[in-house]
Amino acid sequence: MAKPLVRLRVVEIGLAAGLVALVLRAAQVQLVEGHKYAAAARAQRTERVVLDARRGTLFDRHGLGLALTQETYHVGIAPNELRDPARDAATIARQLRLAPRDVERGLHRRYAWFAGPFTTADVQPLRTTRGVHLEPVLRRFYPSAEFARAVIGRVGEDGRGGGGGGGGLERLLDSLLAGTPGAAVVLKDRSGREYESPARVIAEPVAGNDVVLTLDAELQEIAQRALDDAIDNMQADGGDVVMLDPQSGEVLAVASRRADGSMRPSAFTETFEPGSLAKIFAAAALITYNRVRPGEHVSGEGGRYRLPDRVVTDEHPLPSLTLADAIRVSSNIALVKFAARLHPDEQYGVLRAFGFGALTGVEFPAESPGRLRPPREWSRPSSASLAIGYELAVTPIQLAAAYGAIANNGVLLEPTLIREIRAPNGTVRYRHRAEPVRRVVSPEVAAKLRDLLRGVVEQAGGTGERAALANFQLAAKTGTARRVVGGHYAAGQYTASFAALFPADEPQLVVVMKIDNPQKGSYFAAQTAAPVTRSMLEQALAARTVALDRARLSNVAATADHARLDEPDGVVPYVVPWPYARDTAATEPDRIIPNVTGQPLREAIRALHRRGFQVVVKGWGVIHHTWPAHGEHAAPGTTITVFAEPPPAKR
Amino acid sequence: MTFRGRHWIAFWLVALLAALWLVIARQTSALNSARALADLREERAALEGRRADLDRRVRTAQSRAVLLPRARKQGLRLPADTEIILIPAPGSTPH
Repeated sequence: MAKPLVRLRVVEIGLAAGLVALVLRAAQVQLVEGHKYAAAARAQRTERVVLDARRGTLFDRHGLGLALTQETYHVGIAPNELRDPARDAATIARQLRLAPRDVERGLHRRYAWFAGPFTTADVQPLRTTRGVHLEPVLRRFYPSAEFARAVIGRVGEDGRGGGGGGGGLERLLDSLLAGTPGAAVVLKDRSGREYESPARVIAEPVAGNDVVLTLDAELQEIAQRALDDAIDNMQADGGDVVMLDPQSGEVLAVASRRADGSMRPSAFTETFEPGSLAKIFAAAALITYNRVRPGEHVSGEGGRYRLPDRVVTDEHPLPSLTLADAIRVSSNIALVKFAARLHPDEQYGVLRAFGFGALTGVEFPAESPGRLRPPREWSRPSSASLAIGYELAVTPIQLAAAYGAIANNGVLLEPTLIREIRAPNGTVRYRHRAEPVRRVVSPEVAAKLRDLLRGVVEQAGGTGERAALANFQLAAKTGTARRVVGGHYAAGQYTASFAALFPADEPQLVVVMKIDNPQKGSYFAAQTAAPVTRSMLEQALAARTVALDRARLSNVAATADHARLDEPDGVVPYVVPWPYARDTAATEPDRIIPNVTGQPLREAIRALHRRGFQVVVKGWGVIHHTWPAHGEHAAPGTTITVFAEPPPAKR
Repeated sequence: MTFRGRHWIAFWLVALLAALWLVIARQTSALNSARALADLREERAALEGRRADLDRRVRTAQSRAVLLPRARKQGLRLPADTEIILIPAPGSTPH
């Protein structure tokens, strides 16, 4: 046995070695592995949470919210925290409109979770209930569920427009609307529950941009309702309506519906053969290339005209017809005869110039370019077919843009659905300006084409007589075409369509209406689409806030005598200079919107008119605010919506 | 006057207590602010939700789908275009 001194030394050395080992281990833990443990500790007591960014709002052209983001809630219940489980369960079930049995079943679990989402009104009375935990979640909200649904689209379950989203503008504009999510760190206890403490924000969420669409809510509702009624009354398979401002290319309303109630954006994505609606484009080529003399007649052939490989017929034949007669009564025979004077390249060139066979450029995903074959692919009857609107597939938006070019003195504009993009702080990032694509025909030819179209409605025997308004002249064309189903013409099925320029002088509105396979009553556009268009225009005139310039309308002579195109000295009332300028106001610099808050309605409107703005009034009394807000810049002619409130009661 | 040992101890004790009080006071104030902020946020969300709900109801009530059948029941109808009179704007030139 060793001496005590030796044993003591051994113990000392052992202790020293232990101490050194401890120091080394401490150094290893602190210096070498410190970061790892610190990260583990941080992960244990903190949690990084994503702060959702508010998705931008979609407005109509007057500032009416069409798609908004709203805070909703998921509800979690910790049964062990409830003070009176039976009573609380009943309250929860009542507030959240859940089956009491489901809630009671949930209370038997450790933690019950109801995804909802539930609105703030639903959860408000539960906020003070102990054991009820609310998790806020931003959700897209559409105040009018069916409003332009096919165009606006829907967001997916993840709240984004892409992926599982429902397409439409929500999808197309997703990167603009979505914003950038933020991040924050919150403290949590060992069970993972968050402490009630301020979160440390790492990055603030940035809200998405707001987008002002060109749609006019009231016109849209008029179009949707008219289309619904037409489909129901005529037992049609479906239909589309497009309304367009021909001077800016802004789409004011787009309605599409099938008989089963579904809404596809068929105005942009589905094509049809326009039939007689395309006759005006053959007339455009004939006038442009000077292939028809004023007053020149061709024979009506008794309503039956035999070509080498087909027979062309007219429903109501005339003995002889001018070009104006051919458009007025929609004569297939006369148009085929006239169009035979065109070279295929000329005929194709004019149709192509009007935008057929190409995308219009409207901001809509999956827009169809339609179909227009080049002359090298034509067969012998192609020229005759194209003159009367066959062998040509178009979308309603293409037709609206093409008729818009006739209304706009021959300049084709790119149609648009987006009027303005605003940053979250209200700064305007983009404002639509008319985008001329090309000059299709000269202003003189465009005016002659409008006169031809005016004859369809305003002259006796015109196929569009049933669309005529008493106080305003209309320029329009009817089209009844056989329907292609599964690649073949379906027996007894037709597409009735109507394109109108309102009013005929200085048109403010292009309306294209299409009804697929009307089965009840007549299938002719003259009896179906034409009267529906008239009804829509009457409603638009009667509506207060529709985007029509009534000052200009009031100055349009309703019964003005216009020289017929057929007469040798026909007067063409429109002479517009080139290069094209949409209107002089648009080229003026933007102006500041004056502060009219607190002013009486009449004074405020006067002040805004003096600055060159147009005004839409919401409410009455004194002005509460305007949209866009005062201090912002806007182009002269911009519509300012003023929101008025009743004046405070005097004591 | 010179500080003796016990005075120093008392001084540091008071300083420590003051520092602790300051920390706790700041934390309490921050918690109260956070709670007030959360309450305000909730209130705003509730009001926004209520506004959205009212907006929806107003829009439904104003829609043609609701108004037109009621108007028809009352014997009202949409005016024909002959019944709409637009008064020319002063100062504008007719074409």
